[in-house]
Amino acid sequence: MASHPISDRSQRADHQTFATVDPGPERARASEEIAAPTRARNATVAIAGLALAACGGGGSGSTTAVAGGGGKGGAPAPQPTIRAPENDAQASRFLQQVGFASSPAAISELSDQGYEPWLNAQLARSNDQSAREFFSARGFDQVDDNRYYNRRNEGDYMIWSQLMTGGSSVRKRFALALSEFFVVSLSGINLTWRSVAIGAYWDILNDNAFGSFRELLEAITLNPAMGVFLNTSGNRRADERSGRVPDENYGREIMQLFTIGLFELNPDGTPRLYGGGPIETYTNEDVNGIAKVFTGYDFDYSGIGFTRETNGTREIPDADYVYQPMTADPSRWRRPRNEGFHSMEEKSFLGLTIPAGTGPEESLRLALDHLVAHPNVGPFFAKQMIQRLITSNPSAAYVERVASVFDNNGSGVRGDLRAVFKAIVLDDEALDAANATTPAFGKLREPILRFAQLGRTFGIRSISGDWALRDMSDQSGRLGQSPLRSPSVFNFFRPTYFPTNSQAADNDLLAPEFQLVNETSVAGYVNFMERAVETGGFLFRDVELDYSAEVEIADDSTALLDRLDLLLTANQLTPEVRGLIQPAIDAITINADSEAEDRLRRVHTAVLLTMVSTDYLIQK
Amino acid sequence: MFISRQAELSRRTFLRRSSQLAAMGAASSYAMGLAGISEAAAFSDVTDYKALVCVFLYGGNDHGNTLIPFDPDNYARYADIRGGQGDEGGGIALPRSTLASAILNTPDDQELAFNQTLALAPTMPNLKARFDQGVMAPLLNVGPLEAPMTRAQYDNRSVPRPAKLFSHNDQQSTWQSSQPEGAPTGWGGRMSDLAQSANTNAMFTAINATGNAVFLSGEEAVPYKVSGNGATLIRPLRNNRLYRSSTAAEALDMIVRTGTGNILAADHASMSDRSITFGGFVNDAVQNSTLSTDFGSDNRLAGQLSTVAKMIGARGDLGVKRQVFMVSLGGFDNHDGLIGRHEGLLAQVDFAMDAFYRAMIEQGVANQVTTFTASDFGRTLASNGDGSDHGWGGHHFILGGAVNGGRFYGSAPEISVEGNDQVGRGRLLPTISVDEYSATLAQWFGVAPSDLASVSPNIGRFASPDLGFLTRG
Repeated sequence: MASHPISDRSQRADHQTFATVDPGPERARASEEIAAPTRARNATVAIAGLALAACGGGGSGSTTAVAGGGGKGGAPAPQPTIRAPENDAQASRFLQQVGFASSPAAISELSDQGYEPWLNAQLARSNDQSAREFFSARGFDQVDDNRYYNRRNEGDYMIWSQLMTGGSSVRKRFALALSEFFVVSLSGINLTWRSVAIGAYWDILNDNAFGSFRELLEAITLNPAMGVFLNTSGNRRADERSGRVPDENYGREIMQLFTIGLFELNPDGTPRLYGGGPIETYTNEDVNGIAKVFTGYDFDYSGIGFTRETNGTREIPDADYVYQPMTADPSRWRRPRNEGFHSMEEKSFLGLTIPAGTGPEESLRLALDHLVAHPNVGPFFAKQMIQRLITSNPSAAYVERVASVFDNNGSGVRGDLRAVFKAIVLDDEALDAANATTPAFGKLREPILRFAQLGRTFGIRSISGDWALRDMSDQSGRLGQSPLRSPSVFNFFRPTYFPTNSQAADNDLLAPEFQLVNETSVAGYVNFMERAVETGGFLFRDVELDYSAEVEIADDSTALLDRLDLLLTANQLTPEVRGLIQPAIDAITINADSEAEDRLRRVHTAVLLTMVSTDYLIQK
Repeated sequence: MFISRQAELSRRTFLRRSSQLAAMGAASSYAMGLAGISEAAAFSDVTDYKALVCVFLYGGNDHGNTLIPFDPDNYARYADIRGGQGDEGGGIALPRSTLASAILNTPDDQELAFNQTLALAPTMPNLKARFDQGVMAPLLNVGPLEAPMTRAQYDNRSVPRPAKLFSHNDQQSTWQSSQPEGAPTGWGGRMSDLAQSANTNAMFTAINATGNAVFLSGEEAVPYKVSGNGATLIRPLRNNRLYRSSTAAEALDMIVRTGTGNILAADHASMSDRSITFGGFVNDAVQNSTLSTDFGSDNRLAGQLSTVAKMIGARGDLGVKRQVFMVSLGGFDNHDGLIGRHEGLLAQVDFAMDAFYRAMIEQGVANQVTTFTASDFGRTLASNGDGSDHGWGGHHFILGGAVNGGRFYGSAPEISVEGNDQVGRGRLLPTISVDEYSATLAQWFGVAPSDLASVSPNIGRFASPDLGFLTRG
């Protein structure tokens, strides 16, 4: 530090990070190796200081400009260094990374304010849209002849409406990424009010997207949809007489998928090696031990009324029960009891021993604290979030920078998701526009993101107001992916997937989203989008797109293509592909007697051809 | 430096691709007159047709309620362990009375360990009938092993355990490839590598009718994905009209096959290219074949197997003599609600596999097509209340005219949560390895003994490269 006369706050934050966490000798050593070059780079760039702590060590970029003005008059102090897009393409690129779509207004706002101030404003917005409100406004939570309590369609309507319209799109973009890490699938939960239950789960992700990892983990653990999906609800302690043992499912998956993963990791996400091989984080004995923690919980029916179903005999509980965290207090269950089913045995796992006689709440607190404190969580979570948002193959240093923010947000807080999200999207590796032409950079846009981007870019609206967009999972006839509809807790694709016999494989690259790519799905996607773009056919009968801005300039194919190129791909269409799209637009002549239709057809053609190009499909 | 590497790879990909698609059917207009690629000796002079069909049961099938002890002593142990009450069943034990019609009687020369009599799940009457006919064989307690292993060796770790036992994704991968998640090739793909030379159109060797999985990926072999009645075609290309414009359709054709400047873009473009290049050919071939077997309408596994049957019906036009297929059914991870749900799933498996066997009879290839099951793992015999947890070894089925059926293969495990053929809570320690299973299938398929290790890497450590459940020749 002393060798750099120009110090800034991010450097001091770095220093604090390493001082307060006390990560043990090995982790500290690795951190220092990374920190040194980072500091050097900061010192050359951040001239006036005040790069915010939460960006972490890698924050300051070398490719970005300084935004002018901002703020209210005042003292003529030196302008703080605020990174801002150098051009509209960079702004659009960022908007597509942190949200679902870009627009001329957002591009201009972001360019005026700079990346971080703009992002801070987005993060400061409260969550103004909830599944709960969606269901109640439409009566989808009422017991009536529609039997919504048995249906899944309304769960699909809800999530599509959230992705397609309104609200804080930055928050929802991160919540969607979280939904692919903490997976619950609407397809796999058989309980009364399954649509509302998946909505309750989504609300947790959305509400906690910029909150605490630890609190989020507890909230999803006790959520009824998760309770059904991974079998915590109704899970009972061992019973020697019947030979029953606790269900192991949640205990196993919370370790393997939601916190620590299978292998011990270095702070940069690479596996720690022992004798040349990876080190497994837990054994089956650990699973047996932690499984006892998740016993004794069931749905909380306190304050819940029941309604006899029409022409039936079932007593249907109020939909509200799926919003209430599961409880280990048996007096709150549907069939209240005096004694619960929590295991009071000693619970031993991952080096922690919870003494015999410890109750459910305290056991859960200790277990989750212990899991979240594990040094794997930062790199394990950080790498997958980077993969979801920015690139399939982040550098180890990028992973480490984000993981270190997970470990400490600069104020000594571990697992601050807001800081983690900022560290991901404001990192040099994400912001560096030159990466758009680095052959190994980027990721395949998930089909969900493509459809949501279409909707948001062109002002989609629901004709009925119900957002009747369905399960789009089918690869042959539909989109090939649908939000909150993963086929299993292992998500739509695995973080380590790569297609064999491919250039990715030959170059040792991961390509998780390619687990959805095959001869069927690439054709199915084009067919789906052909109809989606013109909102034609059964699947799209409840939605409309607004192409008025594009129709207005449709007579000028260059202007039309410029606009779509910017909004949809951040000006990443190659000349080759532009050279194929433009003649296809020009081939549609605008005739006086069919002008409106011809103009619209030009727009449809340009949008579709852009959104099937690999220049678009690979987000980079 | 990178660019030249990419150029080299592109050239290889191009060479791979340009040696493709020769049409056999007289009516086809796709003939390109190019032969298949590699020349693995074992398959170069093949004249007959053979296919292997892997039915993967995702989630880990509960073997305990798939083959159930019927003799009074072992049934009592089973019911006790699974929380039942005497012959009534209960807990996650099936009632004994429902099993009486599903007993799989062993031939005179076979006696199962522990004097067991095993019954098939009562919702599998068709496979029970195929067992009685001698074309279905259960394989008992098979699972991934690096080498033969006793309980003592498991406990003292003197023999390496397969990595990441009990984890879904890793054990799926290990079953399919012999390695945990991240494996580059599976044994279906490795067999396809060897068998490709038998096929005029090598790209139709490994055919996938379900989601992407490692099983069918080889060093060279790339799985080809089918759905419904064959290939999914890009509608605007089939119609040569995009939004009523042929110019736009032609642009579409070029654009989706273009991927420059980015590795993932190039990979996506080459998948679109495969899709477009082969799709129409496949569908023409499938349309020329007939299939009247009823596969039902609401059974997803049967739907996939119907697609496979149509592809097999089109084998002549497709120019193939050796094929490996994969289909799958999910939903087997029944930690809760095992009773009811599991029998329903087995009923689907039973109907689908039987319908497929009937279709193979219809097409005259029942002796040339062998169907076999696989799954993540077996499950605990112990109950967690209303379900079972992740295990290791499990029981599987082989069905086909070439199967020496009507008898069991492997040893019946003790009905116990303490015995030496389990590692706790009734998780079976396999006595037969997946390598022995795959090697037996591979040799029937035509893989030479000298090539077996490339398909089944651990086979050298096991006594039986051929378990005997298939008739060779």
